[in-house]
Amino acid sequence: MSIVLTDLTKLFHGTRVVDRVSLEVANGELFVLLGASGSGKSTILRLIAGLARAEAGTIRLHDRDVTREPPQTRGVGLVFQNYSIFRHMSVAENVEFGLRIRGTPIPERARRREELLDLIGLGGLGNRYADQLSGGQQQRVALARALAYEPSILLLDEPFGALDVKIRGQLRQSLKEVQQKLGVTTILVTHDQDEAFELGNRIGVIERGRLLEVGKPEELYFRPRSSAVATFLGSGTLLVGRCKAGEAHFGPLVLPIPTDVPHEDGARVRVLFRPEHVELLEEEPPGKLVLGRGEIVQGTFAGPLRRIRVRLAPLAATRQIAPAPPYGETGLLVEAAVPSENERIAGRPWVAIREWHILRRPAPRILVGESATAASEALTMGRILERALDGALTVLGVATEREKEEALRATLGQRMKDGGFPNASVRVRHGDRADAILQEQEENVYDFVVLGSEESHGDRLDPVIETILDRIVTPLLFVKREAARPERILVCTAVGEPGKADIRVGGWIARQLGARVTLLHVAHSGGEPPRWVRSHLERGVATLGSLDVESEFRIRTASTPLQGIREEETATSPGLIVIGGHGPQVRSRVAIDDVTRQVLRFANSPVLVVPENA
Amino acid sequence: MNDRRSRRDALAPVGFLLLVLIPLILMPLAAVFVFAFRGGAAEFFEALKAREALFAMRFSLLIAFATAAVNAVLGTYAAYVLSKYRFTGERALGIVVNLPVAIPTVVVGTSLLLLWGPIGLLGKALEPLGFRPMFTPLGVLLAHLFVTFPYMLGAVKPVLDELETTYEEAAYTIGASRLQTFRHVLLPALKGGIFSGALLTFAHSLGEFGATVMVSGNLRLRTQTAPLYIFAQFEAGNIAQANAVAAVLAALSFGIFFVLLRYSGRREGER
Amino acid sequence: MAYLRKRALVPLALALASFGWAAWPWFPFSRASAPPRTIVFYGFSILGEVFNEAIFPTFEALWREKSGEEVEVLGSFASSGTITNQVILGVPADLVLVSLELDALRLSEAGVVAAGSWRALPHRGVVNRTPFVILVRPGNPKRIGGFEDLARSGVGVVHPDPLTSGGANWAIVAEYGAGLREYPDRPDAGFMMLRGVWKNVIAQAASARAARTQFENGFGDALVTYEQEALWDRARGKLEADVVYPRRTVLSEHTLAVVDRNVEPAERPIVEAFARFLWSDEAQRLFVRYGFRSVVDEWNAANTAFGRVDDPFTIEDLGGWERAKREIVDGIWKARVLRELK
Repeated sequence: MSIVLTDLTKLFHGTRVVDRVSLEVANGELFVLLGASGSGKSTILRLIAGLARAEAGTIRLHDRDVTREPPQTRGVGLVFQNYSIFRHMSVAENVEFGLRIRGTPIPERARRREELLDLIGLGGLGNRYADQLSGGQQQRVALARALAYEPSILLLDEPFGALDVKIRGQLRQSLKEVQQKLGVTTILVTHDQDEAFELGNRIGVIERGRLLEVGKPEELYFRPRSSAVATFLGSGTLLVGRCKAGEAHFGPLVLPIPTDVPHEDGARVRVLFRPEHVELLEEEPPGKLVLGRGEIVQGTFAGPLRRIRVRLAPLAATRQIAPAPPYGETGLLVEAAVPSENERIAGRPWVAIREWHILRRPAPRILVGESATAASEALTMGRILERALDGALTVLGVATEREKEEALRATLGQRMKDGGFPNASVRVRHGDRADAILQEQEENVYDFVVLGSEESHGDRLDPVIETILDRIVTPLLFVKREAARPERILVCTAVGEPGKADIRVGGWIARQLGARVTLLHVAHSGGEPPRWVRSHLERGVATLGSLDVESEFRIRTASTPLQGIREEETATSPGLIVIGGHGPQVRSRVAIDDVTRQVLRFANSPVLVVPENA
Repeated sequence: MNDRRSRRDALAPVGFLLLVLIPLILMPLAAVFVFAFRGGAAEFFEALKAREALFAMRFSLLIAFATAAVNAVLGTYAAYVLSKYRFTGERALGIVVNLPVAIPTVVVGTSLLLLWGPIGLLGKALEPLGFRPMFTPLGVLLAHLFVTFPYMLGAVKPVLDELETTYEEAAYTIGASRLQTFRHVLLPALKGGIFSGALLTFAHSLGEFGATVMVSGNLRLRTQTAPLYIFAQFEAGNIAQANAVAAVLAALSFGIFFVLLRYSGRREGER
Repeated sequence: MAYLRKRALVPLALALASFGWAAWPWFPFSRASAPPRTIVFYGFSILGEVFNEAIFPTFEALWREKSGEEVEVLGSFASSGTITNQVILGVPADLVLVSLELDALRLSEAGVVAAGSWRALPHRGVVNRTPFVILVRPGNPKRIGGFEDLARSGVGVVHPDPLTSGGANWAIVAEYGAGLREYPDRPDAGFMMLRGVWKNVIAQAASARAARTQFENGFGDALVTYEQEALWDRARGKLEADVVYPRRTVLSEHTLAVVDRNVEPAERPIVEAFARFLWSDEAQRLFVRYGFRSVVDEWNAANTAFGRVDDPFTIEDLGGWERAKREIVDGIWKARVLRELK
């Protein structure tokens, strides 16, 4: 590997302009760093060149750790956007400069210089000076100068940004030829997607200092893994639906989920289709994937293609990420691109999809309910989950009145910063706490909700939890007291269907945390438990084993399930107890005291309630 | 947008400008030459051949060259450090190095005396060691260096500031050390600024009076510069002698500024 | 240096040529065999010519003859007050000739000169003298005959500044003394004379020389100055004024002091030799030729241009400089005359 960056980080006034970037570039490869202005891509290049100092991480060039070395010794050639060729030297002198510094004898220098000038197409112009050259020619000189002393790495910082479009095209071609001919490992930084696609063997997409994805141009374009890359490269339509029984549901549209992007039941699923894969037809096509009938909102001529935006009726239980719906828009917007020579479509065409791409399962979204006064144990637990599941943390504060929302937002924001959660988002609502939490969950679709107890309720269950428990469909984690990263998870199973969800979710968490699982079944006292109980537990252990989770099962005998669970808790001190919830209860005047509620009231460890249809 | 006004429009404003300039600047300058040649060309050259006159002119030229040379190095170094490095007190230092322009030269001379003179703060300690910089050519040089320092700095630093950082960075990545970069990349770019700065320094040193009159002791044939000579001759009533050397100084200054203007004009044209 | 263009060649050559010309005397091979010994002499303004043109060369020749050594006497001339200050500040003067003994006193107070050491020299340190006269426009259009005429209305007087010029102090004393001696029974006669004259002072200059220049440039109708100045210019044909000798006036006496602080023991002999030379017949004759009155009367006959003063008096007649400064200059002129005229 020519270039290996490991966890490279650069801070600027406390902001991470380069955030733990790890990257490998192979020998002879032309790697493109693609990102918007200010994304940190130029900084990465400067770090590699040695013109900036990294706060953390290492840079290895050809198996040598150069992180602490000055630019002079790294053996890189750097081409700048503003050419920066030496104006008081002729073209020849510029190109020779590197060799002169190294003490190469004059005839050798001259030979190499002629070679390079020929290579980059400036043969015979050696005596000219910068003010006699065009922009494109100056950039060629810069390139020749950087290559003269045969550096092992070539770096280019938006080299064609200052040039006209025509010249840019020519130079791109030249660069590609030269790079392939010399076989020098190259990194090119640009914000121009076309350039990236044309030049890169592989592309790395950078956003706000983080490396989002790395891959071949076609892969990134047709099969991006994250929605950020999907929306960054080119245009298209990106929708979010739900996974049910291994299929992605977008309203009436059902798409199979490929095996390489597994999704849990009930998890969010995202699908992308590029404009060129959308068909607009006059009549309903049989046998094709159809989204519905739409009306044309906008048509733009773009040379070989015509871009058309269509509005359709929204799909049930489906959210649209791209194109970003304008404020107040309720319909579904689809981007299509058709060859401009085709006849214009009129009226209300049918919208069908020829090809699509399901993105990787998104990072779990965790909602933590925070109080206005002090940071709660829920936050700590939320943090643990965030880390373990590589998820995104959102904190919800509920103010008593609308007027107090802003102040609460500020308080929570500061708390997040102070506590070391710079990436957590803060949301604020007002009114009844339970209602606010439920609304937030419905609107923004989280994967976990983590709550603590506002005040001590003794042995009774916090009414907020009570309310939420009835209506929530996401796993709910209740944290009573200070929690630590669980090393042992106790899954209380009932046998049959509901039990499978508990095992699946508990197992997933266990794998991410590297924890061990104990499957517990409490039997009434008296006699050997039925055979099917045992086999269920054994199959559970097997399932967990296939998920790479160490587990065991235990059957306890106790007078009540709660007692058995309490005994197990006391004996093994698990970091987390997972138990199934029960479906929406029928409201009755007397609160039904089921096992889940009992556990919530009496257990000391954090309890994760997995709803039936999670 | 605004083309230069046509010739006819220019008549009145230019005429008025000349009306102001002629008595203010042009006539006094002309007077120097008129008076110098009053007794005829022979007397003019006779006056220049006087031993003290020759010495004064030579000495002034020498000091001017030395000041320009030393300040070229010091000023460039200061410009480099101030431009390329970030450090606490940078702003304050930047103001301090430009102070000499604001201080009256007589004050400069006095303070130098009070520091280095035989009764001065440092001079008292240095005298027994035999180091007496005041009232010697060295003292005159010190005074001139002080007074002209900002001119060199002011000519070089803006050029350095203007140079984009990637200019040097390119050299670093190519493999040039800081010193090599300075020599091959920065210095050539600075030569225009150093040249103008040197000329300015030279011209100011030639004409320096206030500080020189304090620190030189006015010893004829030892530390009497041309301006001091002119002043002394004038006071003694030898107007012709005074004017002869004054005319030479004026002509020399004209020459310097003529070169300076042509050079900077050419640079503008080159752009 | 590849980046020097061809057109830099001509100015560069010029610069090198002028540098060469300037630095030539300092190059080692262009010097005489061995640098000569030097004596540094600081004198007050009007002494410039006589010392530069006559005294120094004569002494250098004499010394070369006597001891075979090359000696160079370097001089610096400015107003008496200025050179006194310079010597105090530390210029490397070996000897200083001031216009009035007061400045010598200042030097001794500053520790630069041993107290009263000049009085041990011949004639109490006085090297030469000159009476104070009045210069008027050619033809004396205002009919000025003496100091009292300067007090007439319509007469403009040019006067050096007593703060810096020794000559100005002498002039004040001359005016005061003339008044006092004219009317010996009127105690305030001196004061009246001073006030009358100073009422008409229209310009002051830093030194006697500078006052002369102002007068020459057309200021005023009369200038009170040293006789020597006028005589010297007349001898060179440059005097565009008439000289009026007041009946009574002061003879200014110029004091020499050896700057003990600066003279090293090894140099003492030559410095003292130079000092003694100033009272030699030859030197005194030279002074007379240049218009100064010798301390030895017999030489004064050689210069027929010396005018006649009916009643010449010296500072001794007024009680010495310390007293005169205190009573006359500070007490009467500064405290009363100036204040009244403000």
